[in-house]
This record gives sequence, structure tokens and C-alpha cells, in this order.
Amino acid sequence: MRKEVAALVGTAALALPNLNAVAAISRSTSSTAKTKTVVATKSFTGTPGQADRWGEVEVTIVVKKTTTTNPTTKKKTVKRKITAVKVPIYPNHTDRSVFINQTALPILIQETLKAQSTGIDMISNATDTSMGFQQSLQSAILKAKAW
Amino acid sequence: MVAATAARGVHRVEQIMGMPIVVDARDVDGDGALDPLFDWFRFVDETFSTYKSDSTISRLNRGEFAVGDAPVVVHEVLRRCDELRAETRGFFDVHAASDDQLDPSGLVKGWSVDRAAALAHDLGWRNYAINAGGDMRVVGGALPHPEWRVGIQHPLMRDEVVAVVAGTDLAVATSGGYTRGDHVFDPHTHEPAQGLLSVTIVGPNLANADAYATAAFAMGERAPAWIARLRGYEGLAITSDSRSLRTPGFPLVAE
Repeated sequence: MRKEVAALVGTAALALPNLNAVAAISRSTSSTAKTKTVVATKSFTGTPGQADRWGEVEVTIVVKKTTTTNPTTKKKTVKRKITAVKVPIYPNHTDRSVFINQTALPILIQETLKAQSTGIDMISNATDTSMGFQQSLQSAILKAKAW
Repeated sequence: MVAATAARGVHRVEQIMGMPIVVDARDVDGDGALDPLFDWFRFVDETFSTYKSDSTISRLNRGEFAVGDAPVVVHEVLRRCDELRAETRGFFDVHAASDDQLDPSGLVKGWSVDRAAALAHDLGWRNYAINAGGDMRVVGGALPHPEWRVGIQHPLMRDEVVAVVAGTDLAVATSGGYTRGDHVFDPHTHEPAQGLLSVTIVGPNLANADAYATAAFAMGERAPAWIARLRGYEGLAITSDSRSLRTPGFPLVAE
């Protein structure tokens, strides 16, 4: 069977962590009057995601875990929330040797960017790093889920 | 499924080679008509994926057979890599990761889209777009429109398009990457270089456009001078201070 992706390439490839990612590890809790609440914070680092030609991207998330204990039922409710996303390893290009020729005077037109929108059929974008980012983020979230 | 009615045209997205691949054919009917192209991309993935241990390239890297005994497509890709390595003075190096491991993935995306376009042409298609992870070939028009309009995404504001190009036979490739604030890294000084967020190259061939976009982006602030000298290809660079630099021939749509 074909694996279909139900989104256009532009948004699909570049979707960054959003509330869905947070929701994935959050659990709703119905706290009662005299609950005991313990809050802990911990960092989780995902395995570096391969960002194709740019090297690796490593994502760390900071997760706040709130454990509430119901005094009557002794039932514990755990709520996890991502409070920060950090990217300690940035892609760099230290291994690359590139051809640079500064002798020619470039003929270039410089303009201030402005939003465009009318009648676009396709979107061109750079996907490499964001895919590595997503990959690493996903693995960090999986680790946090097990906490 | 798309019914074979008067409304012609079909498109499909599949995740292959670690990226979404979109084929949008405007003068073809029926979803099955797109199968040959997706079969091709799956074949490319099975041949060139360095993530798959049973791919041809992985087996070649383990020494299971000699380069001389590799399939003809492997020779074709490695030859193109050699040409581009010379042209970019070492930027494209199939041995970049390590001396005894081949990794032509930097070229495979663009090359496979070019080959898919040739296949589409042989199938009689004349109005289609093939988009692999944001890099594409567009041919003919997005019928009923007589041409294809391609939006260049803002590298930071992902729901904004900063430029629109239009054409009836174009390869469009955009390279960009992570930035720390306004910075990208200069490969020579290892210092953050000011201000280039993405580079888009437009030309006749996606393998080259993609290679040039990649090389130019890594050059950082020196990229515009290099882009201005490319033959047969036009470029647009987006800077972190919300400006664009483009070559005069860049096929911008006037808004």
C-alpha cells in the first residue's frame, strides 16, 4: 500500500514542534481539593537528527512533570509539559571547501522583502535541517514520555 | 481515487527518501498514471539510501561488490558527482563523510527528479510538476494556467512567501539551514557569518540547481558574488535583515 501524506510539501516538511507535540505527552488531570502536588523539571536530549548535507541537529527539551496525588484514592496523576526547546548542536560546514571567487563584481538587485501570495502552485523551501530537527525532537519526546 | 472525467489532472504525495515527494500532473487522468514515477523514486531510494543497509550503495560500501560491477544508474550518479566536485572545487565530494564510504545523497535528489521528468516526458506528459522536499522541476503549465508559479518560502516565517517565480520549464532549488539568531557559519573562519538565510537557484536542471544552491548557501555572505557568475542559472538570496539579492534574470513574477 502506498503511504500517503495528507499535506502539501511546504507545510509537511517544515512543520516545527507545535502544541500537538506538547499535547502528545500531556495528560489531563482532574485535581480535587486536597491534592499533593510534586513538580520536577528534567531535560531530555534526542539522538542527533541527520540534517542531510548540513550535519547533525540535536534537540533538547525541558520537561516539567507535575505529579498530583489524590489524598483519598492515592491515585497519582502525572502531567508533563515541554517548557523549552533547545538546539545545542547547530549544523556547520567546517568540512566543506567551497569555491569562492570575489574578483567579479556581482550584478545583483537588492530589495526589501515583502509577502507574496497570489496563485501559487508549488512551494520551494529548504527541508534538510528541519527534518533533522523533527527527528531529534521526536526522540527527545519519546524519552520524556518514559520519565 | 480520481475519476476519469472531464476534470483532468491528478496529484499525489508520498514520503520517499526521507522527504515528501509531490507529483502534480495536469494532463494525465487517473491516480494509477503516476505509479511509474513513484516506482522510480522507490527504486532510487532502494539503490542510493545510505540509511538502508540493503541498498546498493550500502552493499557497495561494505565491499560486497566492486564499483565496476554496480548498476548503470550508480555509475551515472557517481560520474555526475565527479563533474560537480570539479565545478564546485571540492564542495560535492562523494567521500565527504569518510574516505572509504560513498555518499552521493547530495546529488541523488535533484538527479532523480530530473530523471523522473524525463520519464514523464516519455510517458507523454507535457504539464506537470515534480517536487521532492521543496526542490522541483515544473514543466508546461498548472492547467488551466499556462505556466507554473512557484512560491519561495521565507526561511524563518514559514507561512510567508517572499518571492514567486513563474515558468514553463524550470528547476527550482532552495537551500537554507538553521540559524542562531541572525547567524550562519562561515566554513572558513568557523565564525558566524552575517545574514544569509536561504539561497534559491533556478535553471534548466535540478541536479545542478540543487548543487549550486547548496554550495552558495555554505558560502554565506560570499554567495551573491558567486551566484552572479553562474552560467545558465539565476539566483535569489534571502538575508537575515529581510532583504533579497537576486540576479537580473531571476524569473520573478511582478506582483
